[in-house]
Amino acid sequence: MISVFSRNSELKVREAILKGVYEENLVILGKGGSRRTKQSLSFRKRFFVFLLLSLTALFIHENYVANKIFPQEQLTANTAARGAVVRPGDTSFVGEPDASLYNAFLGNQEVPLSRVFGLGVQTIMIDAGHGGSDSGTRGKMGTMEKDVTLDIATRLKARLLRTGKYRVVMTREDDSKISLSRRVDMARDAKADLFISVHLNYLPRKPINIVETYYFGTSSDDTAIMLAQKENADSEYTMSDFKEIIEKIGKTMKLQESKEFATAIQKNLFLNSRQHNGAIQDFGVKRAPFVVLLGVDVPAVLAEVSCLSNREEEIELASEAHRENIARYLEAGILDYLDKGDITHEAKR
Amino acid sequence: MKQKDEQNQDTILFVGIDLGTSRSSICASNQTREWIESFVGWPKDFIAQQVIGKPVLFGAEALENRLSLDFYRPLERGIIKEGIERNDEAVKEIIRHLIDLAKPRPGQKIHAVVGVPADSLKVNKLAIRKAVADYVHALMVVSEPFAVAYGMNLLNNSLVIDIGAGTTDFCIMHGTIPSEEDQKTILIAGDYIDEQLFSYLSEKYPNAKFNKNMVRQFKERFSFVREIPEDISAEIPVDGKPVMHDIKNEIRRACESILPALTETTTEMIARFDPEFQVKIKNNIVLAGGGSLIRGIAEYLQDALKEYGPCKVTCVADALFAGSDGSLKLAQDMPPKYWETL
Repeated sequence: MISVFSRNSELKVREAILKGVYEENLVILGKGGSRRTKQSLSFRKRFFVFLLLSLTALFIHENYVANKIFPQEQLTANTAARGAVVRPGDTSFVGEPDASLYNAFLGNQEVPLSRVFGLGVQTIMIDAGHGGSDSGTRGKMGTMEKDVTLDIATRLKARLLRTGKYRVVMTREDDSKISLSRRVDMARDAKADLFISVHLNYLPRKPINIVETYYFGTSSDDTAIMLAQKENADSEYTMSDFKEIIEKIGKTMKLQESKEFATAIQKNLFLNSRQHNGAIQDFGVKRAPFVVLLGVDVPAVLAEVSCLSNREEEIELASEAHRENIARYLEAGILDYLDKGDITHEAKR
Repeated sequence: MKQKDEQNQDTILFVGIDLGTSRSSICASNQTREWIESFVGWPKDFIAQQVIGKPVLFGAEALENRLSLDFYRPLERGIIKEGIERNDEAVKEIIRHLIDLAKPRPGQKIHAVVGVPADSLKVNKLAIRKAVADYVHALMVVSEPFAVAYGMNLLNNSLVIDIGAGTTDFCIMHGTIPSEEDQKTILIAGDYIDEQLFSYLSEKYPNAKFNKNMVRQFKERFSFVREIPEDISAEIPVDGKPVMHDIKNEIRRACESILPALTETTTEMIARFDPEFQVKIKNNIVLAGGGSLIRGIAEYLQDALKEYGPCKVTCVADALFAGSDGSLKLAQDMPPKYWETL
């Protein structure tokens, strides 16, 4: 009797394992278990699912109200003050900007120009760093930057698509080498409104783990001052002057927005990562002359989301859950930047 | 049901493949068991092709004629090497050759399960899938140590350590398909021993002429850890003359160089589990892969782990085929409905 029981139990284990192998292969193929075996749920299972969904909804609501994932006191002054800023979707702005907004446009660099103009974001381009023969940095255990960036970028794409609000495109979806200029062209061709490049850091002399986010520009503040001077100047513009101003506005907007975007990404990346890893260090938002950021015409950032030279971090990066978490933090950063005024800016599991 | 199974066996050839950095093996449902060294070579030019008489050579034959060939060892750390397009082609050739060796009947469908390193990222698994897909009708990719565990019926409370050439893969089985947390890959494996041995021998015998292939052969022939009574010497040419050299200490040092990482990772993997299961797992540790053939390695690990309580470490009976045997068993046990959708 005991042997029959044990044989049945072993058969069940075996069946579960075989099903697991099958499902894993579906995931590798990108079918994500959509064609899993069709089994109708029993009443108890349905009840359990219902209960789980209810609890999840309650949890999300609680988190939204309390903003637990990004507590107010931890937000930057810039982001915290954004309650007063008009959002892209707010149509009361378009058409008739009042004097205070005009002043804000001229003097207050805290107000993003895209919001003053009510510009929206439809297409987000995700750039997975490196690829093909360019493997990027490589950890001591052989983990290659190009593989991790592609994996995180793919997860980020899936997460953003799930919001149903954006078109999301990637510069590469497989292990292929794409030049930086081609990536820039791709962003232009796709008419991307936002560009984020995902990379991993490597600090050979420091065994630490850091996150940092870059945007391009010599000094966004100088450019903003230049714009203000132009706007305050009492003179008549020629067509060529106008063209120059428009170009400068465009440049300023890109720099200003890129800085905002970088801040949102860095904040979400660091605050969330720190919950799992207290040793992670915040290297902040920086400017640097990355070609890919220079060429792209829209707000663009390069996020160094992890550090491959740190052994523990390299081990962590091998875990799917960790890579999914990083994608989650980036998603939270993007949605936080876009600040649509709903709960979607919170990182969700 | 039985009739259906027989029908399946007739129309489908199930194969299990262990695609290794150093050696690749195949086991098929028609009882074929073959292996080759994972080397591929194409004749460099027309003259080489005339001399060799074949369009492509594999394994030992390729190694022997490597001076006349564009010679490739396409796998590195268990995955396809990056950067050289022909490495993909070389892996495809190995797969094609292995499947030819399995002798499928004309018209017979091939359902394959292929073992890859435990920690392979999705992109690596996809690359392997791409290389194999042209030659099979349905394909699944699994982690190598998991395939070994399945083949040996070590489904619950066991730890399989597959010491290959490029990677050492760890996999804890606890009655379900192992998750990422249950598996780990480190790069301290056979190739690492080769590098160490090459460096120790170069240091000790600066005038002796040897290459990496010779060093690998010394390792495969003499590898051991701890003490052994006999002397070990090998013939290495000096100024063109064959001279016997004592290499015992160097072999031992090189083989023992992997032990700290092996012990550390084993304890780390076991420590992740509930203490009750830790005891069970410690008493069911199985070494597989070429590294399990190192004399004394199981005893060493068993002694090293004793300070954490009693444990039992054994080696698989057939290191060369344990992975492909397990993959074949998986292929044969897999319900047809799963094969149909892949």
